[in-house]
Amino acid sequence: MNEWTVEGLESQLDAFRLGPIDLTLAPGRVTAVLGSSGAGKTTLLRTLAGFLPARAGRIARDGVDLTDRPPEERSLGYVPQGLGLFPHRTVERNVSYPLDVRGRTDALARARELLDRFGLTPLARRYPARLSGGEMQRVALARALAAEPDLVLWDEPWQALDVEARFELGRVLEELREMGRVPVVVVTHDPSLAFAVADSFLVLRAGKPGVRGDAATLLAHPSDLFSARFVGYENVYDRATLAVGPPGSLPAWLAERSGTEGVAFARPTFTGGGASGRWEGTVRSARPTPDGFAITLRVEELAVAVKVAPSDSSRLPSVGARARFDIDERSLLALGPAAESPRKDP
Amino acid sequence: MNSPSAPLRRRWRTGPFWLALQLVLSGSLLLLFLLPIYALFTYAPPARIVSDAGNPAVQAALWLTFFASGIAVLAAVVFAIPLGYLLARHRFRGRAVVESLVALPVVVPHLLVGVGLFFLLIPGSPLYRFTTAIGFPVYDTIWGVVLVMVFVSAPYTVLAADLSFRAVDSRVLEAARSLGAGPAGAFLTVTFPLALRGIVAGLLLTWARAVSEIGGILILAYTVYPGGPYSGPVTSTLSVFVYNLFQAGDLVDAAAVSSVFLLIAFVLFFLVRLGERSGWVPWRRGDLLP
Repeated sequence: MNEWTVEGLESQLDAFRLGPIDLTLAPGRVTAVLGSSGAGKTTLLRTLAGFLPARAGRIARDGVDLTDRPPEERSLGYVPQGLGLFPHRTVERNVSYPLDVRGRTDALARARELLDRFGLTPLARRYPARLSGGEMQRVALARALAAEPDLVLWDEPWQALDVEARFELGRVLEELREMGRVPVVVVTHDPSLAFAVADSFLVLRAGKPGVRGDAATLLAHPSDLFSARFVGYENVYDRATLAVGPPGSLPAWLAERSGTEGVAFARPTFTGGGASGRWEGTVRSARPTPDGFAITLRVEELAVAVKVAPSDSSRLPSVGARARFDIDERSLLALGPAAESPRKDP
Repeated sequence: MNSPSAPLRRRWRTGPFWLALQLVLSGSLLLLFLLPIYALFTYAPPARIVSDAGNPAVQAALWLTFFASGIAVLAAVVFAIPLGYLLARHRFRGRAVVESLVALPVVVPHLLVGVGLFFLLIPGSPLYRFTTAIGFPVYDTIWGVVLVMVFVSAPYTVLAADLSFRAVDSRVLEAARSLGAGPAGAFLTVTFPLALRGIVAGLLLTWARAVSEIGGILILAYTVYPGGPYSGPVTSTLSVFVYNLFQAGDLVDAAAVSSVFLLIAFVLFFLVRLGERSGWVPWRRGDLLP
């Protein structure tokens, strides 16, 4: 069945402590582990793979405890940061490696099937040094899947990829999900990329687990300032920053609705230069984006990101002009450990 | 970049001074290498070089030298590579002491190596009796030559192996383990092949250092009698052989025999480099060759 459960997993690398981590990894589902540099993402992956010992907790596949098994006995498709391709083996010999070490006589034939599936046949005899970033990615994934692993672990899949290769990688992951046989864990520091492929998320911060759940949960319930910024909220304010506003001002209005740590909201829609809109600010910058113009306004001491729909681009204000906007109160998220989000069921 | 001449022109504009400097500096060094060799080759007439190459006494000295240095390289493979691996992969107390110990034979004047080994194996000493009893007598045998050669040359392989094992990307190794290779399997299929290029370079240096040794050999095995794996006539290593000719005032033969040796060494190195450039040697697979 291939369902992995991780319970209370803890590990340590020098002074850095990770955990306790709880995860359920189901076949055909992509789990993204998010966090900034040094959050413990790679440590988690290396612990799951068996390169770091678990100090506490349990890793099990279909109820079978694998916590103390060496990496080669966990049936993994692990793609480390930088891909870990073997520079002295050709593409086909890289892909056949997991089968070679298992003594499979059909190793090369099976590797060629995979090369064909990943469109790598013309590159079979090349060495990794002669491949492009996107080609290397495909080789690494083909190799990871060659021995039909029970879990795919992928560290920073998007690292150093150009736009084309990123797009292609998204398709490959999609295909992997559609196969529905193996759970996939990807690690990344870029939430926008993770949102494009993952079914569920785990945010790590300084080794501790933060928000966990699907994309909607993650977006609706960032528990703190960090998670809010991390999942892409552009307007995130610390409670202390809001305390300075005079009564009736935007900071004061936000402070009343803030949680113990602060408050966050998505880019509100710009209402124009006229009288409509409750709040007013000075335009500091305006730049085009695929979904309209991104405008930054200065309101009291706060910088507020606002958007102008493409259809409204004729109303684009100039830098330095005054402009008005509204914030939908229902879009506000109170942040803090005990915070109750006002938007339970949008 | 539309026109390929653009970067070229820019390099040309800033380049002449640096290019000239590089040419002068590297040219001077190459000249320093070349001139003594030129002097050697031109001192003896070509006919003498050819006739000396066919001389059985010269051939015996050459054979002994290459045979003994071959054994020294083999010993480096067996003993120096594991030590390099140990230093590369393990943190332990006294590591710095071991590292310094490995560097020592490179620094010690070579005559002192011979003197040291002489004191260690002085006739009548327990170690002398032991080595003689187990069939490895060192005085005036090929074993003495090999012993000195290993002492002075094995450090190059230890250092090269240490650096090469360290340079193997641990993530590549982790990939191998996660893909199903056990510790031994990952070593044989990934670590060792990847470290091999550096190790081979170290072995070449070891060999070069071994064949060129004279100081310790003068003391331990000035004359080599048949025994052990060496069954040829009574002779000496090529370095001692040439030294004897020179001391005896036979300068033409000293130059001719040196020329024979240099030609063989040059051809050997050239073949190795050629092999590396053509990419057929196993330790350069996957490299981006120039």
